[in-house]
Amino acid sequence: MSTPVTIIFETAQGRREVQAKLGASVMETAVMNNVSGIEAECGGACICATCHVYADNVPEELLKPMSSEEDDMLDMATAERRPTSRLSCQLRVTPELDNQVFIIPENQF
Amino acid sequence: MSAPIVIISASHGGVQAAASLRQGGSEQDIILYSAEDALPYHRPPLSKAYLAGEKDDEQILLRGPAFYEDHRIDLRLGDPVTAIDVPARKVTARSGEQAYSRLIIATGSKARQLTAPGADLPGIYTLRSLSDVALLKQALSAAEDVVIVGGGFIGLEFASTAAKLGKTVTVIEAREKLLMRALPAEIGDFLRDYHASHGLRFHFEANFAEFEGTDGQLSAVRLADGTRIKADMALVGVGGKADLALVAPLGLQMSGGGIEVDASGRTSIEDVYAIGDVASSANLLVHQPMRLESVQNAVDQAKAVAADILGQNPPPTPVPWFWTDQYDLKVQMAGLSRPDAVQTFRGDKSANAFSIVQTLEGRLVAVFSVNRGADHMAARRLIAEGAMLDLNLAADAATPLMKTLKTS
Repeated sequence: MSTPVTIIFETAQGRREVQAKLGASVMETAVMNNVSGIEAECGGACICATCHVYADNVPEELLKPMSSEEDDMLDMATAERRPTSRLSCQLRVTPELDNQVFIIPENQF
Repeated sequence: MSAPIVIISASHGGVQAAASLRQGGSEQDIILYSAEDALPYHRPPLSKAYLAGEKDDEQILLRGPAFYEDHRIDLRLGDPVTAIDVPARKVTARSGEQAYSRLIIATGSKARQLTAPGADLPGIYTLRSLSDVALLKQALSAAEDVVIVGGGFIGLEFASTAAKLGKTVTVIEAREKLLMRALPAEIGDFLRDYHASHGLRFHFEANFAEFEGTDGQLSAVRLADGTRIKADMALVGVGGKADLALVAPLGLQMSGGGIEVDASGRTSIEDVYAIGDVASSANLLVHQPMRLESVQNAVDQAKAVAADILGQNPPPTPVPWFWTDQYDLKVQMAGLSRPDAVQTFRGDKSANAFSIVQTLEGRLVAVFSVNRGADHMAARRLIAEGAMLDLNLAADAATPLMKTLKTS
């Protein structure tokens, strides 16, 4: 069995450490664990930009490169786009993401 | 203490209504009935990633299991509501009677069935719910020849998945093009050609006649002109209709095939609301009641109902939007297609990335995009603002749509 992966979400309300399933997306991990602030209205189809996170302290090489599709969506996200902005539906949980922190913006729409 | 807010059922709209009520500060009891046993889930992946096995049951959940308890939402799975009594303000479910202070009807839509000869043969499916997909998946893995009756969104999404699995797939469409009501003909034609390049076969202007069986199992689909198409399985995707079984006796004002509601989701009966596929309402672009079967519509109507119940200002009038994934194409629609609109093309068809911009007297009313998400997202904002476009600028794909506003 693979070792469990912990993902940390940081919101205005505080930090949540949750157990993630390998292969799930970071968005799905947040939804499964009832982390507030990830709306994911479209269910991970990369069309609503309501699962926006800031990956401020996550080493870039741990995240899959951004597709042009995701790039386009982020331009239109409600919360301010920053260099570390990602859509969490596009990020897969890997063992290397263990204990990484994703910051959830205050507004998703 | 007033009676609970009762929601039928735990669809995307129903779950959103409960969530928005809590988010808006409602402390009233909320009961969310579902006839299904599974935790509430996203429906769009059923014909896409879930069908293809790329997502499992957990990955399509609308909310995690703890959400309902944490938000004091009394989710009653496997508990179908069988009757509504408006004068007595109560519903009857399998688990018993329940009084309500407000009732939110979110019963959704169901797949239209064909009443042709052979329609009850084993091997014929529709796709609407998780239990439908369980049956479909099994049939699909065993099938070689797949026939899809109806070239709509669900049919074409299913077709892409089936084609990717190497099946022989034939689509039967009654009209001369694909998706004529929802999309400009140019995109319908583009999709037809794209599917054809993946091996799909089409019969347009084809009148379906009957399903033929061999040894009590579907073996072919026959068209009115005598054409016979071999079929181990068939998917019937000829649209949906509002599920009105429960509300038919209530005497609600109906229109456009659904329950007529205002911008706050109110029906003609006080304290009874309707949202999602079952509701029929005017919108930003069409000023008479119409049904919209989409996630966006269900979610936005749910938010409007929650605001009304909470006595808060209604959210801004939403712009209808929708999407479909077929192979590596992401087709996105903002606004509603108008046959009388002026169409401006931007992008590159040969690169599978283009948009069709529809304007009426210069005002943006709809944008249909293939693999151009930025155009889609910009369109949602611009349509809401009633933006006037400079069509020369809009025709230049290198100019962001947000920067194509008319200056004078």
